[in-house]
Amino acid sequence: MTAIADVRTAPRRAPIRRIVALRPVGRGGRPTLAITAATGGGLIGLWFLVSSLRLASPLFLPRPDEVVTQFIAVATDGYANATLFEHVEASLARVMSALLLAAAAGIPVGLLMGMNRWVKGVLDAPIGFYWPLPPLAYLPLMIIWLGIGEVSKVLLLTLAMFAPICLSAQAGVRSVSVERVNVALSLGAGRGQLFRDIVFPSALPEILTGLRISVGIGWGTLVAAELIAARRGIGYMIMSASEFLATDVVFVGIIVIAACAFAFSAAMRGLEHWLVPWKGKS
Amino acid sequence: MLTVRDASVFFAARDGSEVHALDRVSLDLRPDSIVVALGTSGCGKSTLLNAIAGFLPLSEGSIRLDGRSIDGPGADRGVVFQKDTLLPWMSVADNVALGLKFAGVPLRERRRRAGELLRLVGLEAFADAAPYELSGGMRQRVGIARALATEPKILLMDEPFGALDSLTRENMQELLVSVWARTGKQIFFITHSIEEALFLGTTVVVMSPRPGRIVARFDLEFVRDFARDGSVGAIRSAPKFSEMRETIRNIIHGFDARMGALQ
Ligand SMILES: Nc1ncnc2c1ncn2[C@@H]1O[C@H](COP(=O)(O)OP(=O)(O)O)[C@@H](O)[C@H]1O
Ligand SMILES: [Mg+2]
Repeated sequence: MTAIADVRTAPRRAPIRRIVALRPVGRGGRPTLAITAATGGGLIGLWFLVSSLRLASPLFLPRPDEVVTQFIAVATDGYANATLFEHVEASLARVMSALLLAAAAGIPVGLLMGMNRWVKGVLDAPIGFYWPLPPLAYLPLMIIWLGIGEVSKVLLLTLAMFAPICLSAQAGVRSVSVERVNVALSLGAGRGQLFRDIVFPSALPEILTGLRISVGIGWGTLVAAELIAARRGIGYMIMSASEFLATDVVFVGIIVIAACAFAFSAAMRGLEHWLVPWKGKS
Repeated sequence: MLTVRDASVFFAARDGSEVHALDRVSLDLRPDSIVVALGTSGCGKSTLLNAIAGFLPLSEGSIRLDGRSIDGPGADRGVVFQKDTLLPWMSVADNVALGLKFAGVPLRERRRRAGELLRLVGLEAFADAAPYELSGGMRQRVGIARALATEPKILLMDEPFGALDSLTRENMQELLVSVWARTGKQIFFITHSIEEALFLGTTVVVMSPRPGRIVARFDLEFVRDFARDGSVGAIRSAPKFSEMRETIRNIIHGFDARMGALQ
């Protein structure tokens, strides 16, 4: 009796409940953003500290504010015959035109290789041979054949970006479920309809993954190629700066390259959200 | 009418030996009937259905639909699988109308027919939803509506409710019977559940494993009674229902005993 009375008269308090969950494996999906941000801030702080105390020569490690000043200077006055914007524009134009070419060739060829034994049989050998090569290994050949102009660089990038797109389109075709195809056939689908309405959309998530990978490869390859053979472009700017030991300009270039890579990957993720909102949901 | 005559299927096993999946199966599917093939897993039910659908050629025997030999899949036989095969990039209504799109039906007419069919399966409110927003049972209902859209002569269903929880499953069985009663479609239905077979079949054929054979055949009235009276409880608790269940269970357990004796 008393126990019940106690419960009735006890003042209402917010219950202190112990919220529980299954023990996670690894980090278990808990947020890491704060840690990441703190680490980034810490690294910049360390950079500031080391460079301000002149623990390293300014020739090797400029201060962050010096890099910012240089960034503004390069953006307005330019460096190595062009402004920062013009360098970036030249690089982006190369990557984008190569991406368009590689996608225009790689998607249909990959889909055909997934659908047709003969196409697969014929193209497996040449693609299998050139795809594992580091693109810079055949850059000299491109230059001998096509000169040092835009064509050789765009073709180099197109080749480097073609393979991942083509392979992912093939994987996309392989991932189409037999049941899905059979159901479509029993709904009366013809060959063209089967391809357009079933196979291609089913392969699209894989194709987009391939595009994302290839943009990453393309950007990396381009900057490296520009270090060797270019008269404009963000890689060329870095190379020129290094010849004059302008470390702060090198830093500017590296930051711009990283920012572009980050923007590409965000753009590709946005494209996936837009084109394949169903990805991972069925 | 669909007739299966002495249908046999041999597959190649991985080690190169032959798998005898179907052994001289003969079966008639008449209009207005629900023929249920019942058997444990691996006894050749899907093989039989795939052959009827035209996904799989026979090693021996013949399958004819209204006298014409079957060679490949076609819109005269609608298929519903256990695995949900809705296209996630299309709305529910577009999924239902997919066969009409393949047939070149204009968009407005497709929309109208899809609306009708969704009403038939009780999903008119979900026409514009994405398939992945629906529950498993709702998705199978969309699958049924889609298979009906091209007005096939026969509906082939391979354990369509096998992945659903038992309560949803009973709802789906009732829904299927009401669709059958309203459309008069003939249905070929596969299951490994005795209760489901008894509840749905106007004819139940029991299959034995390896090689897959039809070993017993029962013509039943339960589903017609249900379509008329709509009383599930009365049917499932009728003495005749449990009698039938025991009979079939004994047949199926008979195989197990024999298989056990062989080992
Ligand atoms: N493509 C195939 N290749 C080889 N064996 C198969 C193939 N498909 C089915 N089988 C075999 O045929 C038998 C019947 O299979 P299936 O018709 O799927 O059975 P059920 O649908 O009754 O479970 C099984 O023993 C299975 O292993
Ligand atoms: Mg099966």
